[in-house]
Amino acid sequence: MKTLTIVLTDGPYISEYAEIAYKLAESALKQYKVNIFLYLDAVHIPKKGQDPSFFTNAGQLFSGLTEKGAEIRACARCAGARGYFPEEEIIEGSNCSDYFPGIRITSLYELSEMLSKSDKVISLSR
Amino acid sequence: MKSVFYLLDTAPYGSEKAFGALNAAAVSLNNMDVTLGLYGDGVYLAVTGQDSRKLEVPNLADILYSYGELRVLVHEPSLFERGLFGETFIETLELTDEEDFLEAMENSECVILL
Repeated sequence: MKTLTIVLTDGPYISEYAEIAYKLAESALKQYKVNIFLYLDAVHIPKKGQDPSFFTNAGQLFSGLTEKGAEIRACARCAGARGYFPEEEIIEGSNCSDYFPGIRITSLYELSEMLSKSDKVISLSR
Repeated sequence: MKSVFYLLDTAPYGSEKAFGALNAAAVSLNNMDVTLGLYGDGVYLAVTGQDSRKLEVPNLADILYSYGELRVLVHEPSLFERGLFGETFIETLELTDEEDFLEAMENSECVILL
């Protein structure tokens, strides 16, 4: 199976990129292994407790992707800068109690690993 | 993928993007051919004599210089448009015209915009 990696840098709601990435990933999962790397402000996307009155909850969407097999990782430095920290215990597929299930904080080296093992890469950034 | 082109079109220090581009490029050096392309306002990163102490952030020019193995292309037309062509640039960088810059992007297997 071929691998697709999507790289995001925007937080949720400031642009449509999180929603676009979700739609691309959901469709791609039918024939690709899908990775998503959350970089810079995109580490806000999996935050629990979002209540976007007029938008779809981006964190829920991304958590749903992990249930369908997508691997979603967030940059540790970017996450720490914004108050999200990895914990030793992994609960419901996540190592961050502030994140939705299935999404983990990891080293930036994981981005390089994902890219090097990918057949296609999509970068969504402003 | 064996090669990646990181495209930076924002100025250093105004946001986290230039720092993020440098970090992403640095970690990718382990297992890929990496090129960092400075385009638009991104070319300000190429100028020597940066002093970021009052901003209390790392000096990005020093970080860039320390990654000697990283190929960095600077888009010459962007330098001209900003009146920067008379400046002194970090010596490890390559100034490239439009055609060569685009060719380098095309020759990379993926382009990451930051």
